[in-house]
Amino acid sequence: MVDPALALLVFTVLVVGTAAVVWPRRGVLARLVEYTRLTERVRLEDAVKHVYMAELAGGVCTLESLAGRLGISTHKASVLLTRLTDLGLVQIGETGPVLSEDGRESALRTVRTHRLWERYLADRTGVPAVDWHDEAEHMEHNLTADEAEVLAARLGHPNWDPHGDPIPTAEGHMPDLQHLSLTGAPAGRTVEITHLEDEPREIYDRLLTMGLALGGRLEILARDDRGLRVRAAGEEFQIEAVGASNVSVRVLPVGERAGGAVETLADLQPGEAGSVVGLSSACRGPQRRRLLDLGVVPGTVISAEMSSATGDPMAYLIRGALIAFRREQAGWVTIERVAESVEVAS
Amino acid sequence: MLPPMAIFFPLFTLLEDFGYLPRVAFNLDSMFKKAGAHGKQALTMCVGFGCNAAGVVATRIIDSPRERLIAIITNNFSLCNGRWPTQILIASIFIGAVAPAHLGGLVSAAAVVGIALLGIVMMFVSSWILSRTVLRGEATSFSLELPPYRPPRILQTLYTSMIDRTLIVLWRAVVFAIPAGAVIWLISNVDVGGISLASHFVDWLNPFGLLLGLNGVILLAYIVAIPANEIVIPTILMLTVLVTPDLVGAGEGAGVMFEADSVVRTAELLEAGGWTLLTAVNLMLFSLLHNPCSTTIYTIYKETRSAKWTTVATMMPVAMGLTVCFLVTQVWRLLG
Repeated sequence: MVDPALALLVFTVLVVGTAAVVWPRRGVLARLVEYTRLTERVRLEDAVKHVYMAELAGGVCTLESLAGRLGISTHKASVLLTRLTDLGLVQIGETGPVLSEDGRESALRTVRTHRLWERYLADRTGVPAVDWHDEAEHMEHNLTADEAEVLAARLGHPNWDPHGDPIPTAEGHMPDLQHLSLTGAPAGRTVEITHLEDEPREIYDRLLTMGLALGGRLEILARDDRGLRVRAAGEEFQIEAVGASNVSVRVLPVGERAGGAVETLADLQPGEAGSVVGLSSACRGPQRRRLLDLGVVPGTVISAEMSSATGDPMAYLIRGALIAFRREQAGWVTIERVAESVEVAS
Repeated sequence: MLPPMAIFFPLFTLLEDFGYLPRVAFNLDSMFKKAGAHGKQALTMCVGFGCNAAGVVATRIIDSPRERLIAIITNNFSLCNGRWPTQILIASIFIGAVAPAHLGGLVSAAAVVGIALLGIVMMFVSSWILSRTVLRGEATSFSLELPPYRPPRILQTLYTSMIDRTLIVLWRAVVFAIPAGAVIWLISNVDVGGISLASHFVDWLNPFGLLLGLNGVILLAYIVAIPANEIVIPTILMLTVLVTPDLVGAGEGAGVMFEADSVVRTAELLEAGGWTLLTAVNLMLFSLLHNPCSTTIYTIYKETRSAKWTTVATMMPVAMGLTVCFLVTQVWRLLG
């Protein structure tokens, strides 16, 4: 018979070994896939996109920035740049590399596919927001131009990606947008969020946890070197400067307010009722469609009917049907309280 | 298989018709939410206690794609009707015997209930893992309609439950059981080098089986009995008689499954086959944690239309069963 201690030891080694191979993002397998994915075509497309993005931001792409962006050495970056010039995608100007007409077209195609795929992930799948960018980074090289057009048609030819960036048209037209960074927003005014930068992932994740969302309003209370003090939905909080620089906003006319505390369905106790004002933008994809299908649209009167054994989920009377929602779903539906006497035809 | 199913399904369908079941899902949802699953999974698990194939079909009531896949993949952790008799038999022979005589029945019943509860725990654990790993990106949406209570339409309900669940499941079982019978008869009667194929297989599987605290006979029985969990014990008895020299002449002959006349006789046969308390414990665990029967696998494929998820649903429980049996055995031997 096999010695049990030895057997357990071998088992532990096997488990640790398997984990090291298949661990997501860090395992040997994940790295191998990442390595084979980076074919020359992918690197070239990424480099062209980087030059384009640098131009769009009004700066110039340098060897160092390219090397940093693609995670390669400066030597390899210079080889890559030479190859791009050979292909006629990039010309070396006085200040640095400049895209040629072909290069711009190629970059816009990659950007279009990237943003379309983000739109798809946001609208049609349950992929969490922090993962959209990484997945789109892969897909932008895998879809052909025709496939991208089929995808665009399925999504109803969207103009914006879920972060608030415009999607270039199939003809290669990119609307010129002046983004105002939140760091530059004047104190005492109210702003509307127009764009949330999705890179780096950690900062984007932090912004999402703060509850920032496209279309959301912020009242700038005070600002200093370390960051901004803002109020949204009746809550005051701090956004550090590094996070704020990743948020773009539109300053609203004087007198517009961020609004006080908003009430949602989740605030209703059994027996209370509210009229739907809107759906939070955090409610997206199939979830949003489901709520709309059930008739959760502005003006619908919803009353809380009963709570389950643990208080979550709660059952709500919506247009004559008793439907249970979980707490976070109920939290997406903003309401105005109405007197319970409003009867819904059932 | 037929009698429990013919009782269980109509009664369950009556509860369903009455409008009570959505309330169960409503009240249990918070537990399932923590595991990333849907409250209605409580209901499909209940159907799974009748038959996993029917449980997988029942997941159609879950309208959110991710939660439905979770419910399909984890349904096998509901101890189905085909496995209860195995659990009860083995628990009464081996577990009950450890306790004092007057407590024997109680202890073995507790062991069987413990296995069923372990299945529920495993269901929650694997739902949690699945929803955070491979199923992370699947679309999800929760809503649960609570229809008003209605007086059940008894006759109609009985009729549809017979047609929809019992008969369909039975028909599929027949389709798969016939080839299984043929395979079992063939491996016991085709001789290679003087001994039957079955004996060869048992010899090959034995070292591996012993490492898991089982034996070659049990592993072979689980492989040939993929079509139906009900035939595991008869196959084990037949194979034990076939490969144990002392038992020549017992049973019904090579390749014919049989059930012993009494529990005592079964116990004698198994002990002659080298079974211990550890073998029994591991068999009970493995009976809970192994691949779904072929009827269920086929149903999973029909419901998901995906070879990938069918493979996950098939292989995940086997991997868990092998791991659990292995760990239990090694720790048992280390301490014993």
